[in-house]
Amino acid sequence: MKLYINGNATELPHSSEAINIEMVLAKTLPKSQLEQSFALALNGEFVGREDYVKTTVNNRDSIDLLFPIVGG
Amino acid sequence: MPLSIYDQALTSRLLIGSALYPSPEIMKQAILASGSQVVTLSLKRQNPMAQSGDKFWRYIQASVEQNQGFLLPNTAGCKTAKEAITLAKMSRELFQTDWIKLEVIGDDYNLQPDPVELLIATEQLLADGFKVLPYCTDDLVICQRLYELGCQVIMPWASPIGTGKGLMNPYNLASIRQRLPEATLILDAGIGKPSDACIAMEMGFDGVLLNSAIALADNPVLMAKAFATAINAGELAYIAGTMPERQTAHASTPTLDTPFWHHGEHKS
Repeated sequence: MKLYINGNATELPHSSEAINIEMVLAKTLPKSQLEQSFALALNGEFVGREDYVKTTVNNRDSIDLLFPIVGG
Repeated sequence: MPLSIYDQALTSRLLIGSALYPSPEIMKQAILASGSQVVTLSLKRQNPMAQSGDKFWRYIQASVEQNQGFLLPNTAGCKTAKEAITLAKMSRELFQTDWIKLEVIGDDYNLQPDPVELLIATEQLLADGFKVLPYCTDDLVICQRLYELGCQVIMPWASPIGTGKGLMNPYNLASIRQRLPEATLILDAGIGKPSDACIAMEMGFDGVLLNSAIALADNPVLMAKAFATAINAGELAYIAGTMPERQTAHASTPTLDTPFWHHGEHKS
């Protein structure tokens, strides 16, 4: 399965079971990253943290992880 | 009377941005020196291996807590209502606030807000429970529409972001103040000097939001104090009531019993 995480193409091993966002994050992000504060959008739509487990991803989906940064 | 943002009373009328400072420590010192209780920040993609945002985040949190203040996330960089709505929802979860400084940019050259997309996003976010602080141009009708939608706070620009040009259209800004007396009006963007902020406050604006003018000063901490002082002076002047402008000179010193008043007449 190919996913785009913050615009970068990422290949996940084929799986017969549905893959949810929680699983994607565990497979693709380093622990240090997972411990940071971030918010997530799937294909341009916000997904709340409580919905990561019940939201499945599909081939060529796009995931955006956004982090706090300075702003005016 | 304190500044009110959606019924949250604030003692400082200066809202400050967290970007462009020479270092995180100077940013923190400047925020503290400003006395500001509202600090803007944003969300962006980050390289998964980069940790650069964490230090800023900790400094911002510490500064805000020290001033007993609040975070104001923005939707900078969004060009459509859909993008802005998604980013607002992400910010609400991460920053645990329903305040959102709503920016929807319509033109890349001067970063002018897109009024059409702004109204669409505002309506949907208000319906979703957000407390929207829309960044808009100094167009009276757009401000009226935002107010009618339910925005208690409206933030027209002084001039394009980061230009430091000050108040481009004082007439427009004065009209907005006059026509929307109940709205909380915060002048946002384009401020260059403390005198710009003072003028806005003298016009009856409720507050000023700025970033570059402090962050890009030679001494940001001192400039933060200068802005806080200027905003306080402008507010006091508005409350005191400025004298009417006159076309002709009027002597301020009484002329009655002026010595030598008729000196020329005695010579003749």
